[in-house]
Amino acid sequence: MSESDSSPKIQTTIETGDEESRHAPLNARDTVIETRDLDVYYGEEQALDGVSMEINEHDVTALIGPSGCGKSTFLRCINRMNDMIEVCRVEGDVEFGGKNVYDDDVDPVALRRKIGIVFQKPNPFPKSIRDNVAYGLKIQGYEGDIDERVEESLKRAALWDEVKDQLDSSGLDLSGGQQQRLCIARAIAPDPEVILMDEPTSALDPVAASKIEDLIDDLAEEYTVIIVTHNMQQAARISDRTAVFLTGGRLVEYDDTTKIFEDPEEQRVEDYITGKFG
Amino acid sequence: MSKESESGVGSLQRSGFVVRKERFYGRLIAACAVLTILVTVGIILALSGRALSFWSQISPIAFFTGTSWSPVIAESYGVLPLVSGTLIVTVFSALIALPVGLAAAIYLSEYASDKARSILKPALEILAGVPTVIYGYMALVYVTPMIDSFLPISVQIIPPGVSVLPEFTLVMPSLGTFNALSASIVVGIMIIPMVSSISEDALSAVPDSLRQGGYGLGSTKFDVSTRIVVPSATSGIVASYVLAISRAIGETMAVTMAMGMSPQMPYFPNVLRNLAESSQTITAAMVQIAGADSYGGGPTYEALFALGLTLFAITLTMNILAELVRRRFREEY
Amino acid sequence: MATEETTSDQLGQSTALRIQQLKGQLFEVALVAATLVGIVSLLVLFAQISNDAFRPRTASSTWFLVYFGTLVAPTAAFTLYARRRPAVRTANALAFAAVFGGLLLSFVTYVVVDALSPYDVFIYAFFASLPPVLVLAYDRTTDERTYTGPLIPVSIIVGVGVAALVDGPISGPLGVAAEWIMYFGLVTVPAALLVAWLTASRRGRRTGAVAGGVVAAGGLAVAVASIAAGVDASLPIVVFSAFAVPTGYVTWWSVKTNPEGRVGIAGPFVILGGVLLGASLVDRLGIESPDSYLTPTLILESWDGLTASNAGVYPQIVGSIIIVGFMAVLAFPVGIGAAIYLEEYAPDTGLRGRLATLLEVNISNLAGVPSVVYGLLGLALFRRTLGFGTGIVVSAAGTLGLLILPIVIVSTQEALRSVPNDLRQGSYGMGASRWQTLREVVLPEAIPGTLTGTILALARAIGETAPLVIIAVATTKYSPPSGLFSSATALPLQIFAASANAKPEFRHGVVPAAAVVLLVLMLLMNATAIVIRNKYGRTN
Repeated sequence: MSESDSSPKIQTTIETGDEESRHAPLNARDTVIETRDLDVYYGEEQALDGVSMEINEHDVTALIGPSGCGKSTFLRCINRMNDMIEVCRVEGDVEFGGKNVYDDDVDPVALRRKIGIVFQKPNPFPKSIRDNVAYGLKIQGYEGDIDERVEESLKRAALWDEVKDQLDSSGLDLSGGQQQRLCIARAIAPDPEVILMDEPTSALDPVAASKIEDLIDDLAEEYTVIIVTHNMQQAARISDRTAVFLTGGRLVEYDDTTKIFEDPEEQRVEDYITGKFG
Repeated sequence: MSKESESGVGSLQRSGFVVRKERFYGRLIAACAVLTILVTVGIILALSGRALSFWSQISPIAFFTGTSWSPVIAESYGVLPLVSGTLIVTVFSALIALPVGLAAAIYLSEYASDKARSILKPALEILAGVPTVIYGYMALVYVTPMIDSFLPISVQIIPPGVSVLPEFTLVMPSLGTFNALSASIVVGIMIIPMVSSISEDALSAVPDSLRQGGYGLGSTKFDVSTRIVVPSATSGIVASYVLAISRAIGETMAVTMAMGMSPQMPYFPNVLRNLAESSQTITAAMVQIAGADSYGGGPTYEALFALGLTLFAITLTMNILAELVRRRFREEY
Repeated sequence: MATEETTSDQLGQSTALRIQQLKGQLFEVALVAATLVGIVSLLVLFAQISNDAFRPRTASSTWFLVYFGTLVAPTAAFTLYARRRPAVRTANALAFAAVFGGLLLSFVTYVVVDALSPYDVFIYAFFASLPPVLVLAYDRTTDERTYTGPLIPVSIIVGVGVAALVDGPISGPLGVAAEWIMYFGLVTVPAALLVAWLTASRRGRRTGAVAGGVVAAGGLAVAVASIAAGVDASLPIVVFSAFAVPTGYVTWWSVKTNPEGRVGIAGPFVILGGVLLGASLVDRLGIESPDSYLTPTLILESWDGLTASNAGVYPQIVGSIIIVGFMAVLAFPVGIGAAIYLEEYAPDTGLRGRLATLLEVNISNLAGVPSVVYGLLGLALFRRTLGFGTGIVVSAAGTLGLLILPIVIVSTQEALRSVPNDLRQGSYGMGASRWQTLREVVLPEAIPGTLTGTILALARAIGETAPLVIIAVATTKYSPPSGLFSSATALPLQIFAASANAKPEFRHGVVPAAAVVLLVLMLLMNATAIVIRNKYGRTN
């Protein structure tokens, strides 16, 4: 049963992979983020174990793996959202543009202005749609025309046509999918360099999710996108490169998405992708 | 939308002024929090300085074991009559409030519909919100005459036929203008919400799986409430009792106005007489001393602080006790 | 077959089961009785106290008939009409808040400013508001918030300092100006600015400016009319600005935005009109009114220990308002700051985490300290250490402020805790600092909860008596406090002092009436808090 279930899955991934082959090969682009021997502990428990990884500019990089494998932890290390968790301890380097973000002279607040994040559950602020998108601009003291940037960001998040007549109504009045696109608009409004996405579609219905996926593809032209997903087809559809984490917080394989889904090096990865476990 | 091609190191920092400003704000509100410690320290310092000066003139042994409190006339500073007055009010108000409050808590947590709860809970909170001076006035002017119309009542403890012991009848005499009974009643009413709201929190915190388990075994709602939910929430209920009693001990205006200012050692064996007559609590004695401002300094004035320290020590012990009990209950689930 | 029958027998109602059920029902009845016993006894006592205060039995039956016709019947009819129409109810609630809130605000503003001297209040208000207004204006022109944020509180403090310095020299020459000009500046100008700002945010700047101008012109017109009629213009100006302006604004707003519910605006006016019509009928027809102690004399005169019908509690009411108001200024910022520290800043672990735990335990202990003990603290702190005079406003407010501090902290903590963590994460993820997250996201969400807690703290403070007795606040005074360092008295103290008066017209007359005033104040505050809590709970 499981064999026949998983084989069409592989087929689709191969097909999408072929479509995505326009993407540049490994190391052809600049590295934006590089981690070296990254270990993360929550108290006594180790969540990441020696992760070394280079993430390229303007790529969509997918992080996949079974739950509890550390992929979200890895994502949150990049813009130091883990700082909020007191028991969390990080060892190793996370370099952003050649600078270790865990250095003493790096302000996590300033870092997050360069590396935005979109969460699993849409979390618009209980403010108007306009104020939601303008939030990042205001807190960063943006001095240009805020309304213009709001419009631009909403357009880029493919939400403008749906909300242009109700910019002053609450962001909470939108549907789940619209809320998530609002959160994406909010994240791109201050023009960060990297956008982290933590399972951005898992709380949405399939139609809303596919809209977000289309959007991610567009965003990659302008930004570097790193996305955590538990949906392997999604990873295959939208990403250029895929990193597979398995239990114990280890990065098992990291390569072009086509390679991972067509011909993974590691047997464990193949087992995971074909649904033998996970 | 132009983007810098490289993110320089400098861009990962914020302006030093902003960082300093926000650190200053953080320190400012931390100072607000630390101020609460200063309040406690202030209370202890304010009380202990003068209390120690008082105890250097009047020996603590005489203070804590003396059976006569008459600071002005006899200059005797025995605190026991005041402790007795406080105990009488505390015990009788607890007799009212503890069962009633627990029953209300069970009703609100286990039986009441959402609508009934949304009306009854704020209504119960009002009981604790009414100014105590109004409780005192109501006890003095309305409760006492109302109850007095039923009195005196005699209850024969030992039937007249039994000749082994002398015949003894418990008499609830007519009430004086100032009496402990009406004071206890209003204090009991005002501490009901203390019991009911904290107990209700404890009862609601009992996980539903326990109730389901009870029903699954064929228990009735009565059985589930009394044999499963209430025992599981015991520590929370005990904590609410301790806090309510502590509140009754510290209650001031109602007992001052309704119970009067005549310190008494307890009557025995006819304990009901204690309820019918005037006596004085620790807090009422404090009001009396403070009200007679002319004492200025002197041991009487300093006795105010000695009484305050005694009261503070008692209530603080009870609050810490309640907190310890409550902490145990938090860990249960 | 036989076994089946026994099973169905067992599922049916056996006698034992029925007894158990009866036991359960009796238990439930007992529980309901216990829940109600406190509430009912309190209601009985309230009924007695209001009966003594109001004395309805001294009125003729015609009196009741008149008021039934003018007040009760129309109000009941209107309530029935509004009950099933949500739009009408919304408009009605808004109008109620505006009308009765406006009346209360007018009363409080006038009595407090009048007691503290309008000239002094004006000087302080002017110098405290001018610098932040200038800072805000600068902020508007430059879009620069790094320095203006901290500058606003600093500028207010500087302004108050300047006011303290120049108050003496200025108040003399300022005395040439009529009192009503001070009230105009204190009440009408803020009202006009508020209306202008509200209108501008909805209808554009031009309309806003016109609306503000209309309010200011209206205030002037009221002043001119009063002077022409030979009345002091101060009170009319306050009533116009704090009552007529909000009522007018809410009426206009409801008519514009809620056309189907606009009948609801009439709600409060049905009641007010009923009272006025009833009063005029009773007066014209010479109907025997109740010999009540709840009269204007009670509210507007000072105490008379000999003749109950002349006794009033005006200085006590004003004293209570000023003490509690200044207490709020002292205690709320500190309490809210402490709560923010404990909920948003303090870590859970390490040395500072342990400090935070200590602070939490300490606060819950402070909440359990008897109020008399706070009185002793106030005595030691304000009278012995700082050397303040006996029973002045600052000492009373400070003592009560220390007393309610734990209440404010705990309720604000609860409000902050109820703000979902998602929002904080979202804000931090956008590169907001802790302070920005707090100011922009967390605090706006926590306002209703905080407001509920602070109003309940005010309600507690206004009835608090024991600490004031201990710090020897005077029980009876014949004039309201004239400043923060002048001696004051409070309403509950008068009730305490007068309870010793055994004359029936005091014991069953004017003292219960004073108690009713205090109770009404306390219940109003509680009701407001509950309304805010329910409204907030529904939206969440």
